[in-house]
Amino acid sequence: MHLRKYLLMLSISILAGILLIFSVFPTEKAAAAKKDDKVFLVGMEANYPPFNWTQQNKKHGAVPIQGSNLYANGYDVQIAKKIAKKLGKRVVVVKTEWDGLLPALTSKKIDAIIAGMTPTPEREKTIDFTKPYYNSKQIIVVNKNSKYAKAKTLSDFKGAKLTAQLSTVQYSLIKQIKGVIKEPAMKDFASMRVALESKTIDGYVAELPEGLSMAVADPNATYVELSGKKGFKLNSTESQEAIGLRKNDPNETKINQILSGISLKTRTKLMHDAVLNQPQATTQGNWFINIWKQYGNMLLRGIGMTLLLSIVGTVVGFIIGLLIGIVRTIPKAKKRPRRYLINFVNWLLSVYIEIFRGTPMIVQAAVFYYGAAQAFNINLDRTTSALIIVSINTGAYLAEIIRGGIISIDQGQFEAASALGMTHFQQMEKIVLPQAVRNSIPAVTNEFIVNIKDTSVLSIISVSELFFTGSTIAGQNFQFFHTYLTISLIYLVLTFTITRIFRMIEKHLDGPKNYDLMTNEFQVDTPKIGSEKEE
Amino acid sequence: MKKDYILKINHLKKSFGQHEVLKDIDLDIENGEVLTIIGSSGSGKSTLLRCLNLLEEPTSGQIIYQQQNILDPNFDRIQYRAKVGMVFQQFNLFNNLNVLDNCIVAQTTVLKKDRDSAKKAALKQLERVGMAPYVKAKPAQLSGGQKQRVAIARSLAMSPDLILFDEPTSALDPEMVDGILDIMKDLAHTGLTMILVTHEMGFARDVSDHVVFMDNGVIAEKGTAEKIFGEPENPRTQEFLKRYLNRI
Repeated sequence: MHLRKYLLMLSISILAGILLIFSVFPTEKAAAAKKDDKVFLVGMEANYPPFNWTQQNKKHGAVPIQGSNLYANGYDVQIAKKIAKKLGKRVVVVKTEWDGLLPALTSKKIDAIIAGMTPTPEREKTIDFTKPYYNSKQIIVVNKNSKYAKAKTLSDFKGAKLTAQLSTVQYSLIKQIKGVIKEPAMKDFASMRVALESKTIDGYVAELPEGLSMAVADPNATYVELSGKKGFKLNSTESQEAIGLRKNDPNETKINQILSGISLKTRTKLMHDAVLNQPQATTQGNWFINIWKQYGNMLLRGIGMTLLLSIVGTVVGFIIGLLIGIVRTIPKAKKRPRRYLINFVNWLLSVYIEIFRGTPMIVQAAVFYYGAAQAFNINLDRTTSALIIVSINTGAYLAEIIRGGIISIDQGQFEAASALGMTHFQQMEKIVLPQAVRNSIPAVTNEFIVNIKDTSVLSIISVSELFFTGSTIAGQNFQFFHTYLTISLIYLVLTFTITRIFRMIEKHLDGPKNYDLMTNEFQVDTPKIGSEKEE
Repeated sequence: MKKDYILKINHLKKSFGQHEVLKDIDLDIENGEVLTIIGSSGSGKSTLLRCLNLLEEPTSGQIIYQQQNILDPNFDRIQYRAKVGMVFQQFNLFNNLNVLDNCIVAQTTVLKKDRDSAKKAALKQLERVGMAPYVKAKPAQLSGGQKQRVAIARSLAMSPDLILFDEPTSALDPEMVDGILDIMKDLAHTGLTMILVTHEMGFARDVSDHVVFMDNGVIAEKGTAEKIFGEPENPRTQEFLKRYLNRI
């Protein structure tokens, strides 16, 4: 009976925890408003200053980020506002990973991409681009004291380790430099800045605003601008940024007209302001305290989201696993139709397990979130999608763990229960599952910890869990190492605490090794039974 | 005088694949008797016992209980099993439950008794086997002999018509055996029907009403305890008993 009491207590505290998290959270009402006709949903990373970045207040005309109480600002945001105003709408930013932008647009999660995106022929196969809203130059960001800071021509970069953002024009430009060491492309600018700061790369190819931005934000960084023949060879469009729209968007002509109305002077002014207004690193005092002071709320919300995902994922996954475990261990039926039915269900379940165990969660999340919208027009908000994905993914793992737990129960337990007249389900409920569950606690703990860490891959669908929050902060304060160190500390504290809690539960369930007659005698109310000697 | 039979076994057969373990068993068990099945290992005695409460599904034949064949697909096996207790060589206490709950769980789930009366019945039987002070203990905290006492109490708490004992002392340390045999001896005197498979020949001789000697899947000889142990007819029985009795 102990186990049940603890499970009950555990589930109550988990529920309470979830409620608490939800009450702290800005409700996902913002997501519900996304079908609002008055809203212009713009996708961007909000992590690429000066084009776009995340900030915690409305300063300098920032706009809200969907599903959070954060704001986005930057050159892209200002352009978006100008367009939205003419369209009679207001801008809401959907913070999306770079790789997630195209699927988000085609699956109608957003109305436009304004994210410093260059119109390339490949991209134009899936989406339309407007006229450019910014003309830029390609530059290479390097450390100020490195030899490459004085480079005059591309060939001066011989032997340099260079990279650029994944699936960008810049990355394809690197091969124009002879003798260069082309490092693997990186996911976002935050990663490249960390890499540069830690000298794992010598530089990265980017656009002029990024260089301006870095020169302001990081005193150790500078950029090399190579113009004319000494620089990169480019098509005219390759240095332009344009707005991405869905194919045949009825607003395309109108947006192009609006863009033509924004003069070069205005554009230069907007970019200038953006470089000035972008978030600056605080360098005084203790970095750890600074991060908490400045971004404490964001971090707490990130922790909350990570806990929500991992707790719900593990609990729901556990329930799924338990049900599947039970079904998969139903003894072979004697009657034929019933046997076929059970075999069929078992087959379906093993397909489910194989698919979800056999593919990465990051892929599942992308397919589920963007695919469902694109193929079936089902628009789930991203927290719900994330919860579903984590749950069914965990379920696939735990189903096998629980099946193993059931199989490992001594056959004698089943026999004794059958011999007493218990049905299969009574045996399961009273005897087998309590033991199987108890035996699977270490594995469930493991899965819980894996979930805490692995939910970080859900940043692909822009769920602002701890890791996503960390990269956002790093993008703002340019203290990459310190921010990620803080994040990893938090992960460690979370996983360690959970390990301890589960260890305590296990210990409690098992009770002492020996039975102490003296202490236990008094707890038992043995009613006096008349000594019935039946001899 | 017409005898009152609790079980009548007719032409019972059991095969595991090609291997025929029970070959055409006919056996009647009187109400209130103690019947002991002896025989060397592999002779089919445990299989026969396990067929009696359907832990093994017989291949063919009949087992008649209260004018009904329990092998009939429409027979209510649950009620039957509730009335036929089983004590195992390996005790098979429910590891997740304490001593008291081990004796309660089937009463509440199978017999649908309320917890209070189930608890009363359980305590009465635990008292009888001398395990009342251990009601809160988990099986892992008990010795083999203590576990077997609880297992007997668990069966008794169901108020069965019949208890099957499958080598109940074979897994015990020698000093534990006598305690269990004493309990079984007491039970035999209460008029409970008992069928047991055992290698304790002294106990079988003193307590049994009838003894069955099984050899190679058939009943080689059946008779009263005095007859089987005193003047066995079948040479196989003689040989078997000679081996065993020499050891005592």
